[in-house]
Amino acid sequence: MTSRRTHAIERGTGGAPLRGGGPQLSVSLGPVALDHPLVDASGTFDLLEYALRYDGDYFADFPYAAYVPKTVTADARIGNPAPRVTETAAGMVNAIGLENPGIHAWIGQLPGWATLRRPVIVSVGGNDPAQYAAVVAALEAHLAEAPAGTTPRIEGYELNVSCPNVSSGLQIGADPAATAEVVAACREATDRFLLAKLTPNVRDVTEAGAAALGAGADGLALVNTFKALVLDRQTLKPFLGNRTGGLCGPAIKPIALRMVAEVAQAFPDTPIIGMGGVMTGQDALEFIACGATAVAVGAANFTAFEAPQRILAELCDELEAHGFSSVAEARGAALLA
Amino acid sequence: MSGADAQTYGDHSQWAETSHCRIAGVRHFGAFAALELIAPRVARRAAPGQFVMVTVPGGGFLLRRPISLFAAHGDRIGLLIEARGAGSEQLTQLDVGDAIDVAGPLGTAFPTEGVTNALLIGGGIGCAPLQYLADELAAAGAHVTAAFGFRDFRAARAAGAFSIERLWVATEDGSVGKAGTVLHLLAALDVAPGTTVYTCGPNPMVAAIQRWTFAEGLRGHVSLEAHMACGTGSCHGCVVDTARGKLRVCSEGPVFRLDEVTP
Repeated sequence: MTSRRTHAIERGTGGAPLRGGGPQLSVSLGPVALDHPLVDASGTFDLLEYALRYDGDYFADFPYAAYVPKTVTADARIGNPAPRVTETAAGMVNAIGLENPGIHAWIGQLPGWATLRRPVIVSVGGNDPAQYAAVVAALEAHLAEAPAGTTPRIEGYELNVSCPNVSSGLQIGADPAATAEVVAACREATDRFLLAKLTPNVRDVTEAGAAALGAGADGLALVNTFKALVLDRQTLKPFLGNRTGGLCGPAIKPIALRMVAEVAQAFPDTPIIGMGGVMTGQDALEFIACGATAVAVGAANFTAFEAPQRILAELCDELEAHGFSSVAEARGAALLA
Repeated sequence: MSGADAQTYGDHSQWAETSHCRIAGVRHFGAFAALELIAPRVARRAAPGQFVMVTVPGGGFLLRRPISLFAAHGDRIGLLIEARGAGSEQLTQLDVGDAIDVAGPLGTAFPTEGVTNALLIGGGIGCAPLQYLADELAAAGAHVTAAFGFRDFRAARAAGAFSIERLWVATEDGSVGKAGTVLHLLAALDVAPGTTVYTCGPNPMVAAIQRWTFAEGLRGHVSLEAHMACGTGSCHGCVVDTARGKLRVCSEGPVFRLDEVTP
């Protein structure tokens, strides 16, 4: 247990600090060593924005075990028209539209957060295999040349295949063959850890999972948001500027758990990041029990600045309360019977 | 936007850690409640135009609500809340002694440096940040005039929460103050050249104020309202079209130069 981690946890509200002799929290997400199982879900947590609003050194006190930044694409995207977010029962629907500066401007910002000591998993988006591979190739070329100390520890990629396919307009991840093409194109461009982040908007999530793994992915992340529609109460027209959006938050947790369990059973040795409505340490433990290696926290980041520290402290308590000596021991506990 | 302007908007302290605050005072004005919170760490950093994210108590709501600062002095902050939806209605029902979680201050602030004549134009609940601004401007010796517009007599109940020396009110139904919109008030005011305009309200009102200031040759600042999820720059949910592209109301705003936004 590092003193930094203890400090980060003790800053949280409502959670107990780590105790010596508590459960072993570190996990191996493939080759990526994590001090504990919690990471942020892409697009819900911006390191630089947190650092700007924090008393102290947020880079040193960074609460997640790895940082997954907002999805980056080959070219800049302005995103969807407003409104982009709205609250629903036990959840929220968003349609941001992958607003980002494009990979070249994104690379230019790397020196600004090079002092982050946690591993980084870069979320990549696009509308065809070449666009995804262009992002990975541009970043690999930069990392090969960049002077020491000018980039954070980029250890892997998460391919966000919930983007629409340029030819069909359907989500790439809803088509196993298209998913495989994206993964294969990126596999050619990097030797780093490669995750495919699966969309839940499919009949059988293991089909896309099998396609991604068959094409060279090292692991799977799931689930992304559920395609959803919210109406304006007065006009009865779609509320969001993009008409449809993605549902996240506690409402999706039971479906996400079922999907993570299906994938974990189908591919037992595969590193998995489980996510979908994690609000508490109990939620995180349930994803681990369904076979997740690590757990991503998304919408909970919008509820309080200290959500990651609180959830981690609660996870510690829950592991202990359930008699687990380590996260690894809890992994898959729901699947054994 | 000049570098000097950018610095004036962005130079205020933002702080997103959660403060657990006790409510020291509640005043009700129809569907509005003015809450006074003991929040020393928020008050110390606050500037007019900034906002806080407020957790709706009871656990039934996922997202916090963005509420602009109505007042800040000593160890207290003030929030003026309109019962508009289920979440804000719960907030208006809080009592003295209750505790709520707030995070802030967040966002950019109204520039006030060097302002001698100020015209504050508000619409509905958008008037709220203008009270705090009026307090600061008056303390700095500026001449402050306010013109507030409300839809009807119910909405105009909010006016009772304000304490601004020269405050003019209009209602569209003619029940309180001048009959008509805030533009009818402006037509009757004698506005000195070089007056700085500050405005906050519904987007159609902001667009009308933009046209009016352009016609009058005045410059000003606007605080925008938006649907937000995080309130702290992470989710990109609250963007507005501006001359500088799509910008986040929570992070690059809520205060913008009046002539640069397309509300």
